[in-house]
Amino acid sequence: MIQDTVTDALLLRKPKFVISVLVIVFIAFFIGDPSLTAMGHFLEPVIGDPAESGLYGRFATSLMLAIIFVINLLLISQIPVFKYQVFVVWAELVVLFLTFFYSFNLSFEFIQSKIWFMITQGIFTTLYVSAISIAIASVIAVVGAVAKLSSNGFAFAIASFYTSFFRGLPLLMQVYLIYLGFPQLGFVIDAVPAGIIALSLCYGAYMTEIFRAGIMSIDDGQWEGSRALGFKFGLTMRKIILPQSIPLIIPPTGNQFIAMLKDSSLVSVIGVWELMFLARTLGNKTFNHMEMLITAALLYWAMTMVLELIQSRIERKYRKQTSR
Amino acid sequence: MKLVKSLLSATLIASLSMGVAQAGDVLDSIMSNKSIKVATDANWPPQSFINDKNEMDGFDVDVAREIAKRLGVEVEFITPSWDIITAGNWNRRWDMHVGSMTPTKKRAEKLAFPAIYYYTPAAVGVHKSSSISTVAGLSGKKVGTGTGTTFELYLQKNLSIDAAGAPKFTHQIDNAEIKSYETSTIALDDLRLGDGVRLDGVVSSLPVFLEAIENGYPIKVVGDPIFYEPLAVTIDLGDAELDAKLKDVIGWMQKDGTLSKLSLKWYGVDYASVK
Repeated sequence: MIQDTVTDALLLRKPKFVISVLVIVFIAFFIGDPSLTAMGHFLEPVIGDPAESGLYGRFATSLMLAIIFVINLLLISQIPVFKYQVFVVWAELVVLFLTFFYSFNLSFEFIQSKIWFMITQGIFTTLYVSAISIAIASVIAVVGAVAKLSSNGFAFAIASFYTSFFRGLPLLMQVYLIYLGFPQLGFVIDAVPAGIIALSLCYGAYMTEIFRAGIMSIDDGQWEGSRALGFKFGLTMRKIILPQSIPLIIPPTGNQFIAMLKDSSLVSVIGVWELMFLARTLGNKTFNHMEMLITAALLYWAMTMVLELIQSRIERKYRKQTSR
Repeated sequence: MKLVKSLLSATLIASLSMGVAQAGDVLDSIMSNKSIKVATDANWPPQSFINDKNEMDGFDVDVAREIAKRLGVEVEFITPSWDIITAGNWNRRWDMHVGSMTPTKKRAEKLAFPAIYYYTPAAVGVHKSSSISTVAGLSGKKVGTGTGTTFELYLQKNLSIDAAGAPKFTHQIDNAEIKSYETSTIALDDLRLGDGVRLDGVVSSLPVFLEAIENGYPIKVVGDPIFYEPLAVTIDLGDAELDAKLKDVIGWMQKDGTLSKLSLKWYGVDYASVK
């Protein structure tokens, strides 16, 4: 959003607002009944045994939690610098999140014994499958976008059939169809190439539309200008149109890559030992399913955070180039 | 027009003939490559799973290793999902499946079963606090099991085991509300949440229940085993020589007590023959 000099009074400075937040949070806690949590335990001197404190205990713990919540809100609103405010809220959320997982009573020993394998085998496979797929998908997307924009009926028909088909099927089904279907035609492909083909074709279809929109957003005058200079189609595309549309294409493509990283988990059904497959299988012998699922979840999250960071860097670079 | 027709039929014939394994082909390539590719599941302790060293391990895996040893070849494991294996038409992606598959009539249309290597009792498990005390008590209840398994067929009252030597059984559960999971270990995770929370019972193999109970799952096995599942080594259709060879090898392993020994190692019970 644009920063301007018009400021409203802070909502949290209005007593009415603060009280209504307090009431809503209190009701939410009251419905959840926190009397048996750590907070109930903490209030034991006041309410007695939490398990037998009944409605009073429920009331007291809910009120206590709601008050802490609101005080926390007010304190955070006092932090003057935007950056620190964000940091504090993030830190609080992360702590809450980790306590939530911690309360599952997980075996950290088990996680420790498996995490290195999950990284070297799981993350490695996930990353290279996604990276190869996104590279192929980008090539498909450029060709598809050009075909969709061309006045050649044949090219348009093929490209639109392709995008319609591959956007219209669930990716899981495409994985199965390619893995089981190709051999019927005499091409026996292994699991990893089959997964890469499925991911490339599916994301190629989505990215065709992104590239098409990017190319279309360039003013007709650019085409006319390059035509007047005597540029042929290929040269116009390479030197004039694509460089201008890339800043528009990059953000949604980054999104697609992040989405693909997660969708690559679908190739686990054909037996590729990537992160999702390991998450489902490693804990099976000792029934440590939760441990592996949560570890994999955090690893996926970490990967996408890194990718988001990279994406914002690239975006910033292109924005600098084009801004005045 | 004629040309188009003949072209079409030529490609059709070519593609059809490519799909079917020639007699002896698979065995020949196993012997010449000195390596056999074995498909199995990584989600099925104690039959087959990933161990502490992140390698495949378990009863099925040991049996596959032993078969390879007796064939004099190396073994390589791959882990496609169960429904891809049962779909048949493997196209030589793997040569053999050792993954506790029950030879049913329907599966025999797609796959060949050279030899049965052991029998597991299928059983019914409920939550510890459940009041259900007989197998028939699960009639009309929410029962979980693995999708595409014989247990699911049993619940659908659709199971027929036609392997020689398998004991007779009856369908004892009526109108169960079947909840099918990717594997039955996930069904056990739902069952442990409490009696009737998501499931009232689970149908799976007895060893899986015993393993879960040993790992602290609050469940108990109800009644006698509902049926004995003969479990066979599986290959793709069309290679009679590989079929015969595996029959020999398994028969040999049965006779010299190797299968009983492996069963005792992994289950503590001899499942290599029916009691």
